[in-house]
Amino acid sequence: MLRFEKRDKTPVRLRVLVPICSVLLGLFVGSVVMLFARVNPLRVYGAVVKGAFGSAYTFSETLVIAVPLILISAGLCLVYRMKFFNIGAKGQYIMGAICGSYLALFGPATMPRPLLLTLMMVLGTIGGALWAIIPALLKAYWNVNEVIATLLLNYIASYILWYLMYGTWRDQRSHGFPLSKSFALNAQLPRILPAPSRLHIGLFFGLVAAGIVWIIIRKTRFGYEGRVLGENERAARYAGINVFKTIIIAAAISGGLAGLAGIAHTSAVLRILQLEINSDYGYTAIIAAWLAGLDPLVAVGVSVLLAALEAGGYQIQIVMRVPFGIVGVIESAILFCLLAGEIVTHYRVSLTRRLTA
Amino acid sequence: MNPTFGSILIKVFAGAVESGTILLLPTLGEVLTERSGVLNLGLEGLMLIGAFFGFLGAMKTGNPYVGLLLGMVAAAAAAAIHAFICVTLRGNQTVTGLALSIFGAGLTSFYGDSWVSQRLTIAIKPMAVPVLSQIPVLGPIFFSQDLIVYAAYILVAIFWFLLFKTKVGVNLRAVGENAKAADAMGVNVVGTRYFWTILGGALAGAGGAYITCCIHPYWLNGITSGKGWIAVALVVFAMWNPFNALVGGFLFGSIEALQLQLQAAGTYINSALLSMLPYITTFVVIIVATVIVRVRHVGTPKELGIPYAREEK
Repeated sequence: MLRFEKRDKTPVRLRVLVPICSVLLGLFVGSVVMLFARVNPLRVYGAVVKGAFGSAYTFSETLVIAVPLILISAGLCLVYRMKFFNIGAKGQYIMGAICGSYLALFGPATMPRPLLLTLMMVLGTIGGALWAIIPALLKAYWNVNEVIATLLLNYIASYILWYLMYGTWRDQRSHGFPLSKSFALNAQLPRILPAPSRLHIGLFFGLVAAGIVWIIIRKTRFGYEGRVLGENERAARYAGINVFKTIIIAAAISGGLAGLAGIAHTSAVLRILQLEINSDYGYTAIIAAWLAGLDPLVAVGVSVLLAALEAGGYQIQIVMRVPFGIVGVIESAILFCLLAGEIVTHYRVSLTRRLTA
Repeated sequence: MNPTFGSILIKVFAGAVESGTILLLPTLGEVLTERSGVLNLGLEGLMLIGAFFGFLGAMKTGNPYVGLLLGMVAAAAAAAIHAFICVTLRGNQTVTGLALSIFGAGLTSFYGDSWVSQRLTIAIKPMAVPVLSQIPVLGPIFFSQDLIVYAAYILVAIFWFLLFKTKVGVNLRAVGENAKAADAMGVNVVGTRYFWTILGGALAGAGGAYITCCIHPYWLNGITSGKGWIAVALVVFAMWNPFNALVGGFLFGSIEALQLQLQAAGTYINSALLSMLPYITTFVVIIVATVIVRVRHVGTPKELGIPYAREEK
């Protein structure tokens, strides 16, 4: 029978090998699913690589998707270490986009651009943070399951956006389409490469955020307390750590980064508020954080990789008429393999003869 | 009471029983799965898998009952992945469930793409129960439904009895409360958890397939629209009791039916706000239910979400 012995420390070799094997197995599962639909996986993967890295422009579009993933996954690395399973980044992203866009659509038009943009980003961050603080408070005070709470808040945020886009925020001249008026130039976050590239300065927000969260986790008392809390809540309480405060601050940081991702993407890439603002990045970022082993710097690289898969996924949908759902299959298969792989990172597995007694 | 108003009310409540059954089946399954100590947050994905493969089966065979069965088998197979990772490999149950939800959504929208908007010609039809359906008010609401609704009533009774009145139920609850003690008593912890996780998956699949084989006999990507998550919340509301799952399912079915009737009647209430109603209600209910569970110390299986490792002290 199989015997499991708990490891004290995971060898670096395994920490690298498990994610790589997971990605390969995920791609393999994707291939099997495609073969059942009589789609040639090699052609699809070829098109994905070309669609993501084929030219300077396509690569910059991959980075456009990577920006929100980097921002969101950095925050998730922090909260997941405390075992607060915030899966509400989608809703926090939407609330960030709504709050920041309020200024863009209804704020004083004469405000200088740097000031307006700063206020929009701050408001978006606050909107996302508040949306994450609600479930954190519920968890801290009444132990309400945060997975269910954050998920329901995703649906509620989506309907708030829907309500606004079919209501007072709709542009009078949109012929009934659920679109806001276009953002004025002052309210557009600057892009950093020549057109048609849409890559924007949000990339720097992401890199800075990943760096700061890495420092918080590794070098600060707060990060240390969070890690203790994640490993053993009772031990954390005995050690005098304020569990409530730690969870709420971490949730606010993660929600705030998701909100920032939402408003940055809306203001720089879309330049309009609409029903589809790519809020599903909130789910993709969960996979990025987990694949990165909850290390925000590793998550930067992983985000680019997953962004490539998504960018390529859009391409194959348009060019080869392969449904985008295949991206979800591959991403979830990667996640399954990672979770299954934890058995070898957490335990030393050996085959022994059946134990008697 | 105005007779037309009365007949509208009966229609609303009959609709509530239908919508309620969609929620009841996965909730009932998850009650049993969680009683065994396994948390499966993948209900939304399992319902989608049940809905799509149920629809596919009904399209290919022309028999909606065969479709329903296929939907259940497909969802049970997907639940087996959850059991393997969470029970055998002791993976993180929360994240595995989430992966299962993403998997179900991706898989069904990939295979379902070419089926979008196609309609089933033969769906499951209502069958009035003789005698019982003649009872005024209650008859048309509860006993002029389809076979799946009746099967759900019966399953609630069976699983309630099984859980609280039989040896099988004692063992099942023991595994979820204290796996080590159950193991010492000679109960097969791993087998029990596998069985109830897979059975819970089959019931979630039945809930999904009930949508596409009966209520809305066509396919749309993401047709379950969050009902799986509402079901996860309803398990807390039900305090892990099959009978309360029935109450919760119909209560939420009523909200859904009311919302649909209000939208159809073209009231002044904004349709976005009406569509939000079930999620807001669920959000409030999960908070209230959690507080009640805490105050009264009932319900939650003690080792919910904790993998069992025999060789660790």
